[in-house]
Amino acid sequence: MNLSFSSLYAKRRRRNVVTMALAYAATGFGLTWLVVILGVLLWEGFSGLSLAVFTEMTPPPGSAGGLLNPIAGSLVMTTIAVLIGTPLGMLAGTYMAEYGRYDKLTTVARFINDILLSAPSIVVGLFIYEIMVAQMGHFSGWAGAVSLAVIVVPVVVRTTEDMLTLVPDTLREAAASIGLPRSLMIQKVAYRAARAGMVTGVLLAVARISGETAPLLFTALNNQFWSLNLNAPVSSLPVVIFQFALSPYKDWQRLAWTGALVITLAVLALSIVARLLAAQRKTS
Amino acid sequence: MTDHTMKAFDTDLQDLARMVAEMGGLAEKQVADSVDALAKRDTTLAQRVTAADANIDALQREIEERAVLTIARRQPMAVDLREVVGALRLANDLERIGDLAKNIAKRVVALNGEFPPPKLIRGVEHMTDLVLEQMKLVLDAYGRRDVSKAMMVWRGDEEIDAVCTSVFRELLTYMMEDPRNITFCIHLMFCAKNIERMGDHATNVAESVHYIIEGRPIADQRPKGDTTTIAALHTAVDR
Amino acid sequence: MSVATITVPTVTHTPGNAGDLREKISIRDLDFYYGDHRALKSISVPLYQGKVTAFIGPSGCGKSTLLRILNRMYDLYPNQRAIGHVRLDNEDILSPSQDLNLLRAKVGMVFQKPTPFPMTIFENIAFGIRLYDRLPKTELEDRVKYALERAALWEEVKDKLGASGLSLSGGQQQRLCIARTVAVQPEVILFDEPCSALDPISTAKIEELIDELKEDYTIAIVTHNMQQAARVSDFTAFMYLGELAEFGETTRIFTTPNDRRTQDYITGRFG
Repeated sequence: MNLSFSSLYAKRRRRNVVTMALAYAATGFGLTWLVVILGVLLWEGFSGLSLAVFTEMTPPPGSAGGLLNPIAGSLVMTTIAVLIGTPLGMLAGTYMAEYGRYDKLTTVARFINDILLSAPSIVVGLFIYEIMVAQMGHFSGWAGAVSLAVIVVPVVVRTTEDMLTLVPDTLREAAASIGLPRSLMIQKVAYRAARAGMVTGVLLAVARISGETAPLLFTALNNQFWSLNLNAPVSSLPVVIFQFALSPYKDWQRLAWTGALVITLAVLALSIVARLLAAQRKTS
Repeated sequence: MTDHTMKAFDTDLQDLARMVAEMGGLAEKQVADSVDALAKRDTTLAQRVTAADANIDALQREIEERAVLTIARRQPMAVDLREVVGALRLANDLERIGDLAKNIAKRVVALNGEFPPPKLIRGVEHMTDLVLEQMKLVLDAYGRRDVSKAMMVWRGDEEIDAVCTSVFRELLTYMMEDPRNITFCIHLMFCAKNIERMGDHATNVAESVHYIIEGRPIADQRPKGDTTTIAALHTAVDR
Repeated sequence: MSVATITVPTVTHTPGNAGDLREKISIRDLDFYYGDHRALKSISVPLYQGKVTAFIGPSGCGKSTLLRILNRMYDLYPNQRAIGHVRLDNEDILSPSQDLNLLRAKVGMVFQKPTPFPMTIFENIAFGIRLYDRLPKTELEDRVKYALERAALWEEVKDKLGASGLSLSGGQQQRLCIARTVAVQPEVILFDEPCSALDPISTAKIEELIDELKEDYTIAIVTHNMQQAARVSDFTAFMYLGELAEFGETTRIFTTPNDRRTQDYITGRFG
């Protein structure tokens, strides 16, 4: 080994050590904040966590209560949003990945979809306000659900298209080679192969909309009392947290922390379920 | 022809051809020396010929081994396969020619004390010249992959057969004249037959060369002039 | 541009069924384009019933392209078109009115990489059968068993029909794909380099399989392994740069080929 080689090598080694140190530091930095956030959430919210949270309605300031109506409202609107958004998203994603893979339309749609993916949710809320709330003359749970659906669709479109594109063409050719018509091939082969990924996509969308506040402010508003009437304002966890956290009342603030913890735990549970599903598929 | 992508393959084939050519040269020398020993009654030369046959045998074994290795390692196809098979066949025929020459040399030793007339010996020498010419031509045909030369050899065996027949007649005459001549006449008969067989092997080589080049055996029947098996008997009886 | 040497096969060499050759698929003046690039140039070659025809040639010569025309696989992709005459029995395969799904049921294909469906072994086979026949359970099971037996896989999987197709070894997966193809009762089977991803033992099993299958099906195989082509096929077509350079009986092509390019390729003098 001559001299120039060893000095070059030493320089490279030094640079490698420095870069690795920076990478570790950045990871540590990010993780630290995550841990801090989770820690604060647990610290503040855990003390308020009790059965009452899930059984009692939101109280007026000063009295005890729970988060039953916002939890119920969130559940209902999220479910409806997923029911509306998932089929739309999946079918669009299927078109883009299968039938229209080489079309110009697909390229355009993909571009627009990517924009919508990161559209500010408050803009979505305002949009639904204009076309639903203003037209109907009042706030409603339906409007809330629809605004959440608008957020769900691009996520599902993206993941569906990505997962279907990952299915190797050789599998499609194998299906075609026994005379399988295209629609059947998509349903029975491509979907089955991409199933885990597509389900994960839906769960991701759910996790996303669980915490969306801005659109709900303009559509479903809030409701202190227990109500499942979707034609009227419906309570939701993010909005309630917003309201309670900004209030000067101590018990409301505590409930806000608890609500935040509940959302976080729910999303965490969903992610774990998604991971488990994906892992299960892999081993079968 | 372009070279193989694997140079070692070319080397294998070239080595085979070289060994066959070497064997051919040795066989030619053995044939010339054995008849030379017969004509000059040179037992030393004859013993050298007998000993030298071992070299030819060793070469044949080497060629066989190399050919089998080439087939195993290279999986030759088409012309390459025919080359390898051809080399095996040639080695076989050349080894037989060597054995026939050794046989003649052995008879030189056996003939010690006998004095065959020069006329008879000249007949045998004539045959040998023809055979040596055939061998030279056919080995040339192999070396140059010349199918027309091979065909010339293939057709040229008739003359050798004719000379063999006439030598046989002469020998029969001698044997009938004087029973004391029978011993050396029998030996000479065998020698003549051996040389005639050498000519046949040369035509075999010609057939192999044709096969290597054309990829199919020679379709026609070879013209035969050897009637010693049937004709000579009649002649003897007729007399 | 040199003209292809199509040697009319001298049937007198084949023992038994002399003159018994029937063209199952006839290809005449076939051109193929990837966009503007002409990948196949005026190919004319027969595929005989009950025989194995091998397509050999250097990379990029068009042999896989040719194979994929026979079941219109290229139709799945844009910008690829075939012009010419390809007839299966007497139907024009290339005509736009040809029902692609029916064609592909008649002309099956086995690919280079084994691609079992993400289903159980049983389902992999039954899936194709169900496309065409509505069968009671026992008959379906019999058909599945028959297909697996034909593919020499039954003994190895009969106790684990419910396992995933992906849990098998590479060679077994490939035989599963062959069983799947056989299950839909095709008339022609196309093999596109079926053994190139497999070990020698699996390869030998599949070659043996092809030998058995040719009694009932017409088979075309693309392979870059010349010894395999020599072992397995009855007829061989040598392709070079999109043209058919030579076609004839395998025994002749590999001992005394007519075309210089063929000889150079099979003796390893190419490149």
